[in-house]
Amino acid sequence: MAFVPKTQPYNGRINAVTLGTGDKAIVIGGQNVLPFYTFDAPVENAPKIGIEVSDLAASWDAPALKAFYEGCTTMADYAKRAETMPGADFLVLHFESADPNGANRSVADCVADAKAVADAVSMPIVIMGCKNIEKDGELFSKIAEALQGKNILVLSARSEDYKTVGASVALAYGQKVGAETADDINLAKQLNIMLKGLTVAPESIVMNIGTAAVGYGFEYVASTLDRVRLAALAQSDADLQMPIIAPVSTDTWGVKESSASEEDEPAWGSREERAIGMEVSTAAANLTGGADAVIMRHPAAVATIKKFITELV
Amino acid sequence: MALKGLDIFKLSPKKNCKECGSPTCMAFCMKVAQGAVSIDKCPYFSDDAKAMLSEQTAPPMKTITVGDHKLGGETVLFRHEKTLVSKNLYAVCVCTDCGEEKVDQKLADMAKVDYERIGERMYVEFIYVANKQTDPAVYANLVKKAAATGRSLILSCWDVECAKAALAVCGKDVILDGATPDNWETMNEVATQAGVTLGVWAPNLEALYDTVKKLEGKGNKNLVLDVTADTAKETLKNAVLVRRTALKDGDRSFGYPSIVNVAKLAKGDDRLQTAYASMFTEKYGSIIVMENMTYAQALPLYGLRQNIFTDPQKPMKVESKIYPLNGADENSPCALTVDFALTYFLVSGELERSNQPVNLIITDASGMSVLTAWAAGKFSSSTVKKTFETLDIENKIKNRTLIIPGKVAVMKGEIQEKLPGWNVVVGPTEAVQLPKYMKDKEYEAAAKAAAAENAAKAATTVEVKELSFDELLATKVPAIEVVDMGVKYGGYNPESSTFVTIGERIHCISPAIRKAMDERDPAPILKRAAEQIAAGATYLDVNIGPAEKDGPERMMWAVKLLQENFNNVPLALDTANKKAIEAGIKVYNRSNGKPIVNSADAGSRISNIDLAAANDAIVIALCSADGIAKDNEERMKHCHNMLERGLSLGMEATDLWFDPLFLVVKGMQDKQMDVLNAIKMFADEGLKSTGGLSNNSNGAPKKVRPIMDSALVAMAMMQGLTSAIVNPCDLRLMETIKSCDIFKNHMLYSDSYLGDRPDLL
Repeated sequence: MAFVPKTQPYNGRINAVTLGTGDKAIVIGGQNVLPFYTFDAPVENAPKIGIEVSDLAASWDAPALKAFYEGCTTMADYAKRAETMPGADFLVLHFESADPNGANRSVADCVADAKAVADAVSMPIVIMGCKNIEKDGELFSKIAEALQGKNILVLSARSEDYKTVGASVALAYGQKVGAETADDINLAKQLNIMLKGLTVAPESIVMNIGTAAVGYGFEYVASTLDRVRLAALAQSDADLQMPIIAPVSTDTWGVKESSASEEDEPAWGSREERAIGMEVSTAAANLTGGADAVIMRHPAAVATIKKFITELV
Repeated sequence: MALKGLDIFKLSPKKNCKECGSPTCMAFCMKVAQGAVSIDKCPYFSDDAKAMLSEQTAPPMKTITVGDHKLGGETVLFRHEKTLVSKNLYAVCVCTDCGEEKVDQKLADMAKVDYERIGERMYVEFIYVANKQTDPAVYANLVKKAAATGRSLILSCWDVECAKAALAVCGKDVILDGATPDNWETMNEVATQAGVTLGVWAPNLEALYDTVKKLEGKGNKNLVLDVTADTAKETLKNAVLVRRTALKDGDRSFGYPSIVNVAKLAKGDDRLQTAYASMFTEKYGSIIVMENMTYAQALPLYGLRQNIFTDPQKPMKVESKIYPLNGADENSPCALTVDFALTYFLVSGELERSNQPVNLIITDASGMSVLTAWAAGKFSSSTVKKTFETLDIENKIKNRTLIIPGKVAVMKGEIQEKLPGWNVVVGPTEAVQLPKYMKDKEYEAAAKAAAAENAAKAATTVEVKELSFDELLATKVPAIEVVDMGVKYGGYNPESSTFVTIGERIHCISPAIRKAMDERDPAPILKRAAEQIAAGATYLDVNIGPAEKDGPERMMWAVKLLQENFNNVPLALDTANKKAIEAGIKVYNRSNGKPIVNSADAGSRISNIDLAAANDAIVIALCSADGIAKDNEERMKHCHNMLERGLSLGMEATDLWFDPLFLVVKGMQDKQMDVLNAIKMFADEGLKSTGGLSNNSNGAPKKVRPIMDSALVAMAMMQGLTSAIVNPCDLRLMETIKSCDIFKNHMLYSDSYLGDRPDLL
């Protein structure tokens, strides 16, 4: 009795969503198999890597990361440099300093930055806010308006603000909108249904189903990814067939493994190498679970994950 | 090999004839599975059935033991389906042609990574010793060196003579990764003779499968499969197909653990190896071989592994101890929280961000979050006191400020009483508020106020001696005034087979009821009782909260209040305080049925069965010990443990009402059928069942809940559910229950079987 491998392509398929315009536009999603299961069916579009460009990037002190952005002062400088990073597919503008409990930068300043970046780069643009519902609502709407026609993705609409964010970003200005929930498949489905109820097209939605650094409750992320993908593919659940984007660096750089100084943890070795390790492992774990795009920061981590994806697709 | 009791039960005669000495077939089969009794004790098991058993009950994937390490034994492809059982292990490779110095360096570096994370030792479990030449002495020399580290070994060696020489110089905790389609026969002899696990490799899956079949033909099932190919893509394919074929298609010839050599797939690139190792942690690598294991690799990889292999039903716990943060010493204030790992990470992270020295005290709460633990009685003033004693905090810390989580502000008074001398302060309700709270030293003023309060109290405190129930009844229980609420309890015949509804509305989680209990104010309690009785409740549940202080007099008052007002309505006495239950039963009138003890479980609360037995009461027996049961195998094990305990104490089997624990659809949707099937198993054994049925719809919109609850109760009654703890004021649910009782022929039909309802006629 010889072994005959059984393939398992699914009838369900992940939506293919286009971000950006022109030559550098990318497509995420589109496959009808589990991540990297090329032996079941070809993977339509390889997962993509977004480079985090924060408005607090000047405070990044890891030596090689700092060296990569040497001489950059404005967000547009950083974005242009990020565009040259080997492995980069899109740029993620992270407006951390808009946080009213932090630097409380004005919406107008942030919009000006976003506009300057959009004028200077050709890669697709993704926007991340400061997690403050009110401020993000205004920021997202203004940036979506200012960057009309660029086909950007805005992260994210949440259950608290999906009506305003969905209506402005996706309906009024025709951009793509993220649907963010925290490791809960039922809420993820619910939010997609609510966005569709606003008449946002399913092809305009990308999910962020929750994030964590490895070691920090990543089991919830892993199981949510598994369940969302199985529902989308095996049960053909159209309300969960949106591609998934996973912000990685925003979680990994803050945890102790990445941030503890070499004086505090002498046995652990180079802090930068640890931070790269956390980013690489978290990104790989997300991609293996079902993320169609990851958001990363360090050039060395990006190069590694680019190689990882290339080898597997 | 573990036979499953439920699999045996499927083939059993299901006569419940008791000739084997067990009360039921199910109980007998569970014992057979545990090896406690021979299957031959049953005269009715056919030989065919017995033969089928050994065939059918073999697990789809073997558990292979190497030294202290367990590999494989998985039953599911995804952790949410049940749980993954054997975490992947790590190996670092050394080889015969990489030079003595480099080998020494590698072994020394490898040993440096050895630390603890959330109760788990993190280190490189295996050394992968690769042979790249033909001189047995050279290989044996290297193996000896590797063996000296005390780690288990993987001998990667296709040369038979070299393998023999190597096995002569190392212990038994070894995998001989040496069988190929060419040498399998001789390698098999070498491995079997040495009594070690044999690793099998082949250039493709077809050849691997053939080779395994041949080895199995020779009687060797102590195998691991080296699925490493030339590329990562091909290796992932192998790892997935091998596991999927075993678990999904049930082909046991691929039901072995795997070795994945990522050192080979990404030679010289530690970072890419980290990426691959992360993937194979999620996707089916049992042993992952690395070129090195630095901290930059170990910290993420071991963290990921710990997450992925956490049992979804058993949350990660951190050790109960004092965690001094930001350079805290004995003079720094203390903050208290539970041992749920995510709570710990969140709270310690925010406290660290505050840069204020603080001693974080983690108390044992069975790995539950703050509110869940509080509701389950796992986070109470008593458990906190126990932690303080166990950890000797009184002597270790001089500062007397104790910040408790804002969510359990209600515990402040009780903790204060249990920890005299401490100034208990209520902290913020959310962790994110901690940095500001600590920086602004908001706790200082509160601690001062608490200290003043304590001093004032100390001046007035007098010793009180413990009173007997009769004394309590005479002195502490207010006289009951009978009030006409316009509702009469109609009586209940315990012999009847109609469905028993236990009304859940008198519960201390409701602030109004809590206040009424505290103040012994009858009105709110009588109002809720009247509503539930009018709606058709059979029993009323009386939850008086943890009631650590005045439980007995509280319960006596509540029982007398309800029974005297409502024609001795039967009651379920619901509290973690045993004395209170005993006191309640003392004043309980049985004319409408026995009291119910709510509740016992198969873990720390199993002695509530003794309590019920001693007092001739019914007991609700939760089929769980620590955390929710993984599957029905475990549910039934708990069920029979409790059943046997009850029977041995002279209880009737029908006085144990088994609760499968209804699970929330939002979150545990895929486990709903398990619960329903457990009810069927209880019923098949003639056992009664109950449970908090409406838990299924927790978190669902208010208007959706009655719809879900009604559908579930109908399905559960079909399975044989005999009772449920419900909100009787849910009209749709009660109508469904009555209708099901009609179909089950428990109640005679008439047009007005739903009661006097002109709206329906």
